[in-house]
This record gives sequence, C-alpha cells and structure tokens, in this order.
Amino acid sequence: MTMRLSGKTAVITGAARGLGRASARMFAREGADLVLLDVARGLPGVPYALGSASQLEYTAELCREFGVSVMTRQADVRETHDVEAAVSMAIGRFGRIDVLVNNAGIAAPSGKVAHEIDEHEWQLMIDVDLSGAWRAIRAVGKLMVEQRSGSIVNIASTAGLVGYRHFAGYVAAKHGLIGLTKAVALDYAPRKVRVNALCPGSVRDDPQVEGRMLAEIARSLDVPVGEHEEAFVQAQPMNTLIEPDDVASAAVWLASDESRQVTGSVLTVDGGFTAR
Amino acid sequence: MSRTDLIPPDRSPSAHCHARRVRLPDGVGATWLAGLFERAVRTWWGDTPDRLPRLWDERVPAACDSAVAGRRVEAELHRPLDAEGALLRAVLLQYADGPADLVLVAHRANLDALSLRTVADVLTGRARYEGFTDKTASHIVAAADAETLKRWREADFSGRIAWASGDDAAGDRTGLVTVAIREAGPDVPATMAAAVGLVLGRYENQENPVVGVLGPVPERPEGALGAFDAGLLLALDLSGARTAGELVAETAQALASDGGRCDGRQYAELLAETGGRVVAGLLTDGPAESGSGTHVPCQTAPFPLTIVPGRTPDGGLQLVVRHRLEDVDADSARRFARHVVRAYEQLANAPAGLVPADVELMDEAETRQVVALGRPLRRLDWRPERIDDVFASRVAERPDAVALTCEGRSLTYAELDARADRFAAALLDRGVRAGERVGVCLGRTPDLVVAMLAVLKADAVYVPMDPAYPADRLAFTAQDAALRIVIADQDFPGGGSASVVRPEELETHGGEAGRARPERREPGEAAYVIYTSGSTGRPKGVVVPHRNVVALLSATRDDFGLGPGDTWTLFHSSAFDFSVWEIWGALLTGARLVVVPYWVSRSPEEFRELLARERVTVLNQTPSAFAQLMEADRRQDERLAVRLVIFGGEPLDARPLRAWFDRYPEDRCRLVNMYGITETTVHVTAQNVTRREAMTGSRSVGHALPGWHLYVLDERGRPVPCGVPGEIHVGGDGVALEYLDRPELTAQRFLPDPFTMGRVYRSGDRGRLLPDGRLEHLGRLDTQVKLRGFRVELDEIRNVLLDDPSVTAAAVVLNGDRDAAGARIDAYVVPAGGDPAAIRQRAAKVLPEHMLPATITPLDTLPLTANGKLDVRGLPEPVVAPAAPIRAPSGELAGALAAVWESVLGVPVGPDDNFFELGGNSLYAMRVAAAMRDRGLPAFPMRELYLHPTVSGLAYVLDEVTSHE
Ligand SMILES: NC(=O)c1ccc[n+]([C@@H]2O[C@H](COP(=O)([O-])OP(=O)(O)OC[C@H]3O[C@@H](n4cnc5c(N)ncnc54)[C@H](O)[C@@H]3O)[C@@H](O)[C@H]2O)c1
Repeated sequence: MTMRLSGKTAVITGAARGLGRASARMFAREGADLVLLDVARGLPGVPYALGSASQLEYTAELCREFGVSVMTRQADVRETHDVEAAVSMAIGRFGRIDVLVNNAGIAAPSGKVAHEIDEHEWQLMIDVDLSGAWRAIRAVGKLMVEQRSGSIVNIASTAGLVGYRHFAGYVAAKHGLIGLTKAVALDYAPRKVRVNALCPGSVRDDPQVEGRMLAEIARSLDVPVGEHEEAFVQAQPMNTLIEPDDVASAAVWLASDESRQVTGSVLTVDGGFTAR
Repeated sequence: MSRTDLIPPDRSPSAHCHARRVRLPDGVGATWLAGLFERAVRTWWGDTPDRLPRLWDERVPAACDSAVAGRRVEAELHRPLDAEGALLRAVLLQYADGPADLVLVAHRANLDALSLRTVADVLTGRARYEGFTDKTASHIVAAADAETLKRWREADFSGRIAWASGDDAAGDRTGLVTVAIREAGPDVPATMAAAVGLVLGRYENQENPVVGVLGPVPERPEGALGAFDAGLLLALDLSGARTAGELVAETAQALASDGGRCDGRQYAELLAETGGRVVAGLLTDGPAESGSGTHVPCQTAPFPLTIVPGRTPDGGLQLVVRHRLEDVDADSARRFARHVVRAYEQLANAPAGLVPADVELMDEAETRQVVALGRPLRRLDWRPERIDDVFASRVAERPDAVALTCEGRSLTYAELDARADRFAAALLDRGVRAGERVGVCLGRTPDLVVAMLAVLKADAVYVPMDPAYPADRLAFTAQDAALRIVIADQDFPGGGSASVVRPEELETHGGEAGRARPERREPGEAAYVIYTSGSTGRPKGVVVPHRNVVALLSATRDDFGLGPGDTWTLFHSSAFDFSVWEIWGALLTGARLVVVPYWVSRSPEEFRELLARERVTVLNQTPSAFAQLMEADRRQDERLAVRLVIFGGEPLDARPLRAWFDRYPEDRCRLVNMYGITETTVHVTAQNVTRREAMTGSRSVGHALPGWHLYVLDERGRPVPCGVPGEIHVGGDGVALEYLDRPELTAQRFLPDPFTMGRVYRSGDRGRLLPDGRLEHLGRLDTQVKLRGFRVELDEIRNVLLDDPSVTAAAVVLNGDRDAAGARIDAYVVPAGGDPAAIRQRAAKVLPEHMLPATITPLDTLPLTANGKLDVRGLPEPVVAPAAPIRAPSGELAGALAAVWESVLGVPVGPDDNFFELGGNSLYAMRVAAAMRDRGLPAFPMRELYLHPTVSGLAYVLDEVTSHE
C-alpha cells in the first residue's frame, strides 16, 4: 500500500491531545514526518486544563511507531516568536514544510451572552482561535510559496458556519477563521499553495486522544455532559457523534495531493448538522 | 565561505543537495559523537554561527534491517537543505536493536561530495577534524572565454524529448537505473561525457550535442572543506571532423582545465537565447570510492537525464542514470543508459581511426529485436497473380453482379469484362506490345476503369494521367513515359509523338473481343506507372507490378472483411495511387465501384448525398477531405451505410474524429488510418482508430501490413533504437520495381534489404517504432528545418496549433530563405470561431519563441490539391499584398458576380480570374451560391462553377439560362 503523505512534512498545532493527536497519528500512519506543537501548559483565563508536555510527548511516541521522524516543541500560537522559532526548526530539520494544520484552539471562556463577555475574555478567544492560525500561516507562507506547493488546513468548527447561543467569542473567531481561509486561499492559489477549512461537528471525547472539548462545552453551558451529548446526537442527522478519526481522515485528504484542486473550501464533518 | 553558482540554476534545492549515510562503527556512542560533532563544526565554521550545523539525535523504534528503518534512511537522504541555511544537516538514527546510522545532507553550493565524505570520516573516527579547514573556491574558478561561449551558443540544444514519454504530473520525482560497465577505460569522466554526447546526438539527430557537467574543479585544494563544484558545458563535434579518440581527448582537456566554466547566469542566458535545453548532464563526483555507506549524488535529478559514473559494491564500474520522470520514463532511461555504456566501452578502447559515427549503440540482440519489431503481426498467405486474372475469377464467380456505377448507369462484371476485352482487342490491333506503356487520360467515368483493365488485358502497362492536370505536366508525363498511345476523351493536350485514341474508337472497334495474348508476362512485371512529384525535382514514374496490388488485397481482405457485399467509391484522381486501392480494392473483391464525378468529389454536400444514395460501405478519404465530409454529414439526420473508412494520403489528426464516433460508433463503422507511399503500393501500415486514439491524439499509424515490413534507420542505414526517430524504410511485397528510366534515383531510394532478401524503399519520412511495434509517423524529413541554428519540426508546431480547441485545421510553412535570418514560420488555421490573436497567445504558452509562427492567418478552409491533400502552393500570402490594378468585369451580372466573389474570397477579382486559382474551393463555392441567392442573383448548379470558373464565363452561362426562362 502506498502511503498518502509519504515524503511530506506536516506542522500540527495543538497536537498534545484531542483532534490534534488523532490527526498526528493518522498523518504518521500515512508516512508524513511531523513537527508537533502545543502550548503545553495552562493559559490564564482559560477555565480548563490545556494540553501538557507529557501529552505532547506521548502523541509523538505514538507517531514514531510508524517509523517517521517526529519533533515536538512547546509553542503558544499567541506568541509570534514561539511560532517562528518552531517553523525555522522544522525547516532546518526537514528542509521543507508541506502541510500546516492549524488545530490549536480553546472553547472557553464561554457560556455568556455577548454583553457579559469582558475585554480580556474576548481578546483571548480571538487571539488563540483566529489570530493564532494567522501567525502560523505567516510563518510558513513564504516557504510554501517558494516551494510552490503546500496545504494549510484550518480546523474551524460548525461554529464557523452557524451561531451557538452563549458562544459569541468562539463563534466569531471560527467565522473569522473561515474568512481567513478564503482570503489566503486566493492569495496563494497562483503559487499552488492551498488553504481549506475543516468544520467538525460535535466530536466524542475519545479517551484514547484524551479529548475533553465536549465536556468543557457542557460545563460552560452548565448542563450535564450526558444531556449535552444526547442533545447533539439528536441534532446531528446521522444520529451519532463524530469520532476524532473522522476529522483526521478529512484532514489527511486535504493535506494530500488527492485534493490538489481544492482550495478555499469549507469541508464539514458534522453528520449533516449544518445541512438543515 | 562564498556560494558557488551552479548549473542548472533553475532547479529546486533538492537537485543540488547530496547526501551520505554511514553506519556508526561499534563502540562509537551517541554521546561521544555529539561531543565530537560540536567540536568539529565549531572549529570549521565557528565564524558563521548562524549557519552552524546541528546534530539531530533520533530513535527509530524498529530494527536496523527492517522496512521501517529502510524507509526512514531513504527519507533522511532525500530531505533537502536550503543553500542559504545551515551548512550541513546531520541526523543520527538509533535503531531499536542497537546499530545507528549517521545521515549527512549538504547543498553543493556549500559543501561538495568530498567535503561531505570528510565530515563522515571525521564523525565516525576515521579521520581527525584538525586536518581540514573551511576554504572557498571562488578564486580558482575562471569563467568561460568568448571563444568557448561562442561554441556553446552555436551548438545544438534540445527541445522536448521525443524519444521518451514523460509524466506531466511527476513534478520533481526522479527515477534511477543502473547498468554495469564491463570494460573500464583510463579517463572515466571524459570518456563517459563523450559517450553521453554521442548517444544524445544519435537520439536527437544532432551534430553538436550539448552535455552538462557538474563536478569538482581540478584544482581542488587538499584538506579543504567547502564548495568546489563548478559547471561546464561540452559541445561535442560529431560531424566526423574528429575521431573518437580526439573527441575523448578534447573532452578530457575541457574537464581538466581551470577555465571555461559555465555559471548559473551564463547557463540561463544561453538557454534563453537558443530556446532549447540541456537534457543530459554528468555528475562527476567520481567513481573514486567504493565501500560502506550510501552516497546520493543528487536528491532529485538536476538534468532530465543525470548521469553518474560510480562503483558497484564489489568495486566494478557502473553507470547510474537518474532521470526526471517528468521527461523520461523508466524504459527509455534504461535504454539510454545501456546505449551510453555501450558507446563508452567502444570509446574507451577506440582504435585509432574510429569516428563517432562508427560507434554502435545496440548489440546484435537488440538490433535483432528492433528489426523484429517492424515486422507485421501475421504472415501473408497468398499467391502472386496478375490483376486481370484475379478480376477474371471475380467475373466467373458472379458475372451478373454490378461492377461499376456512374450517374445512374451501371455495368455488371460480365459487361465490364466484355467492354474491356473489346478495348484490349482494339489496342492490340493498334500494335500495343507486351509491357508497352499506354497513357490513360480520362476523367472519372466508367471508361477510365474499362481502359485501365483493357491495358492490362492487352498485357501492357497503364500510365494514369488526370486530365485536370496542367498541359505541361501531361506533356512531360507522355514524353517521360515514352507513350505512343494515350486513351483520352478530349484533345489530349500533351501533344508530342503520342497518338490519342478516344474510348469511342476503342469501343466501336470491329475486331473480335476476348482475344487476349496467349502468353502474358508474369505477375512480377509492371502493371502501372504512377507519377509522383516529390517536394523537389521533376516528377518520376513509379513502376508497380501486378503482384504488389494482389498482395495488398491479400493483406487486407480478411481483416477488413472486403467482399461482394461492399460498395466502394472511386473518389480520387487516377494520378493519385489511392485510386489504385479504390479501383482494384473493389473489383478484385467482387464489390461494386461507384465512380464519383469530379464536381461531386469537390462538394462535400453532393458527395455525402451520393454516399447515401448509393449506400456506399467502404470509403477512402484523405483526412482533409474527410473533415469536410464529416461537417456536411453532421447537418443531416440520416446516417450513412459506411462501415469502413480508410484514411490515407496525409497524416491523420485523430482528435476531430470524436464527433464522428458520436454519430457512428466503432461497432457500426470502423476507421483505419493507413500510412502509405506510392513506391510501396498505396499502403504500408494500418492502425484502427477508435475513440481512444481520438482522445489521446495518437500519431501511431499501426503495424506493418502482412507482407510488408518496416525499418527505422539512421543516416548510415543502421536501425535506431526503439522509440528514437529515424528514417522510415519499407520492405516486403509492396516495394515497387523502380523509377522509370531513373537508374541513379532508383539506386538511391530502392536499397538492398539489410536484414533479409529483397529490397527496401527509403521513404524520406521520419518515424519511430513504439515498443509494441507500431509506427509513429513524424512527418517528412524535409519538414524538419533549421531555423537560426535551431532544429524545428514544422509538424510539431502544427500539432500545437491543433491542440487548441478553437482550431479545426492548421498548416505550417517555412517561408523565406531557409538558412538565413529571413526565414520565417507562417501558420494558417481554420478557426472554429474566436480571434487569431487568442490562438497565437495560447500557442505562445507552449511553443518556444523560435517556434512561434511569425504570422497566423485565419482561413475558412485549407486549400486542397486535386488529391485531397493540403495544397501548400494554394495557401494565400500571409500578409495581404496591395491589390494590383485589374480590368473591371464588364456587364451588370458580371459586376455583381465579381462583387460576390470578392466578398467571399477577400481578394480583388478580374473577369478572367479563375475562381479556384484565387483560393476558391468547394466551401467558398457554396458561400458564393448562398450570397448570390441573398442578392437575388440567379441560382446555378455547382457543376457550372467547375465548368466555368471565371466571372465572365459564369456570367455568360447564367445569362443564357435566365434569358431562356
Ligand atoms: N472537539 C470538538 O467537538 C470540536 C468541534 C469543532 C471544532 N473543534 C476544534 O478542533 C480543535 C481541536 O479541539 P480539541 O477538541 O482537540 O480540543 P482539545 O482542547 O482537546 O485540544 C486542543 C489543544 O490545543 C492546545 N492549545 C490551546 N491553546 C493553545 C495555544 N494558544 N497555543 C498552542 N496550543 C494551544 C491545547 O493545549 C490542546 O492540546 C480546536 O480548534 C477546536 O475549536 C473541536
């Protein structure tokens, strides 16, 4: 079997756990060499624990099983310096970057109506979920344009397409990320660098990837996890939650040459949620 | 440290990155290595801290001999390094079972291969780092002088690689083939470079091929670390002025001198100037070493064919060719590598007088293989007979079947036979001797066929002449063929000593019919002589014996299912040998032959109507004529009964046939493209044309017919390798006897078959054999022209124009003085709409500057010759010339007519100008008819325009018609 990403180098942000880990693992299985980044510590203002250094290392270990080369680095996507240092390390090691997956993201502080959100909460959400992606794009864009190839996958959300009550900051950031995707896609299209957005629906908190997004959203809304889960199963026409690997497969496709004419697109993996 | 400017300059960094893997010796641990690495790189490059290399220490959770480990090493060896970044990348791979590999990667602009080996030696404890220092090479590399530059400029650069198939989607991907070298020589790089040039020259038909060389300069200082690679171009003189030994010596000298280098800028300028490219280049990192580890001289191939001489693990010499898959497929690369090695072995041991052209590319086995490739798929199972004897058998089988139809009148086989017997008897009475040539100068009437058959029955040789040909040409033929008797309708304009006999005179002959000669010549003796006009020189008579025609029918009858159920047309001029196939193809298989009147053959609409009316099943067409017929057919709902279409006479562009297949699926009507030459009896090869060919724009003309065979030979008459273009030679049962009374020309063109009994005909056509034995026809040898030093294939330009979906037909001609600056390529296109400027823009995207036509003139149709082929002389001037003063047509009707003609033809029209000479053709004729209708002028039958092709003539006739109404 030929591997779909062999010979490619991918940078994945927010790779310590969750969808980042699931994507990293599937990318490794498809032969990609990896640069895995994560803030790997808590952030003031985020009311839940983010990924840890240990989780990031564990993701790398899982990937190395496939024989690919994997580097990890602590990097906060809010920090230009962190992002640029990580990218130059990646270039030194691998000589090229073929894929960037902008996956790092936070779901909270949330759970308030718009006028109750404070300045700091708003800034934090936009800084991580929207500006973070732009910083990483800025860091790899020049190289990809020179290479005349590259694929950037922005992990947005169905919240980038429709609204959710009490999530104004998150929804605004993810809508912004889709806008960013389309604009940059046009910037880079002549140089064969592709930019696409991937919108997962509600993903099951899979213990294997130590996911906790669903739980955190339920907590923000102050509803029991079981109830929240049930509500989403009902809301997604295929009557099930999304698995992390469902999102990872879509990311592999967008990263691979199989999607070479796909740019500026928004791919939903949401069990039909936004089809209504 | 200063960067060296490398060639070729325009490749991604991977083309100039090289890599090395070494297994760490037992006892060398990772920590020890890390310490040593730190010290060594600080000593060497401490003054450029931002470019200091680092060591990446990584664990591979698999055993060192596992597939996972193997993949990982490959990946590491092929990770590029930017020329501006770190000077080196070092990766330590520690395997789960203990062993470790060190992989080093560097860019040639920073470190050369020897430097990289030194680093490896130091890091594995085989050498001490104190013995080496960072050096810069810039001061020892001298640029090329004016003399050298001039030589490069005048050399033959290449274009698209025609002898291999590339994969457009391959990107940078590189393939690799290896061939062992049995006989080493003294100077491997020089001999190898000469061998590469020689093979390239043969493949591309170049006298001065260019080979790139990238490798260390000779004066590389001892103990230096740094970039000491420089580029060089070799322009090899294969004209024969140099012996093989001199060639190698010159190459060695160029490689050993410190001057004459070519840097990236010069290289780019040269390519821009010549519009060509360097397809082959050597990396001379050298076969100096063998032993442990892996050396990757380039991560991707810098040249489409990158040749690296090296050593096998056991110390022998070998050749490695790294080829860009974008340009060269694996099979072609392997063939190329094999031929380079063979050329190398001959050059390495060249006897004193050996000239480059003496070098053989193929060994006997490969030669046998390509010779076998040109053989037909089946053997010909037949018995040589006379044409009239085979015809007699058909008469005996079905005497009452209809043999000929023309404008409503028909002759059965028996009637045709009887009439021909009467003609023959009359000819005998007139003293026609066995083997005597008799002219037949009749229009397309049943008597044309009767007369030909009668001449054969009289055991004479017919010389067909088209009465529409100019009188001079007819006179020439009559004289050249020493005709005593010409069967002609009207006054035979040829004059001279030939006496003219009208068919009526032969018909009313009182002598007894059926009186044939008791003893007639053998089937191997001449049956007809057809005159062909080559592109140069006067027309020459091709003498074709009976047996060839019978062989042709035997070769095709079963495959094409030819039989009494078929109806054929006689569409083509009797002076064009396609008509030989039409006439005898029908009559020797018991079919019915519909004679197509001349003016019907000129009008696609009327011809289509005839095909429908007569339910014609077998149709023979030139592609140009078929395109017009297809157009006419598309406007009709009703489908034709045609079941077989045979293309001949000119190269077929299959792409426009898609529309035909939509109306006539392949199982309803078979299309066959046949390559043929008068000198080899009409046809040589056959290729079924299906939607696949139409979609791929295939240029294959198929396999040789049973009984025929093909060779593609070089100028010395040696077979060229499979896939490589050469001159098509045709042998077998179709080869004509000779050119009439032209012994020297006959000796030049009809040669002894080099591989079997018999003779071959040297066609003057370029072609190549595909790996499956099908022939690709690449145009005339003489359409390959040299324009400002660059070899240009006019057909290639035409193909690019045809690739444009808005172009339905195209012609490309070279105007002006061929070898002077005045030479110019002019193109003519038939656009489906849109403006010619856009066509030009699209062509400019594909064609290099020097191949871009100077003018692209849109036409409504391309002018065709009487034979239905492109009429180059009928093409209008590309730039509209100012109109000469002309006499105005007199009379009201004549004035109106002239105005219509002028608007349709776009040229000024005088009263006595011939419509067809002004560029008029059947399509224009229809336009004229339509425009006249629009203006309320009298309607006229198409036939009248052909009979009276001038304004005054036609006006006169129309006046007559209208005044009698
Ligand atoms: N899980 C879902 O249901 C779901 C649905 C739609 C979209 N998403 C999106 O998918 C992405 C991944 O979500 P997840 O479910 O895996 O969440 P997660 O919290 O499990 O993982 C996110 C990771 O990103 C890291 N991260 C957070 N802020 C960072 C920063 N500033 N810099 C670097 N790394 C940072 C965290 O440490 C964590 O490891 C997010 O962008 C999220 O918005 C998730």
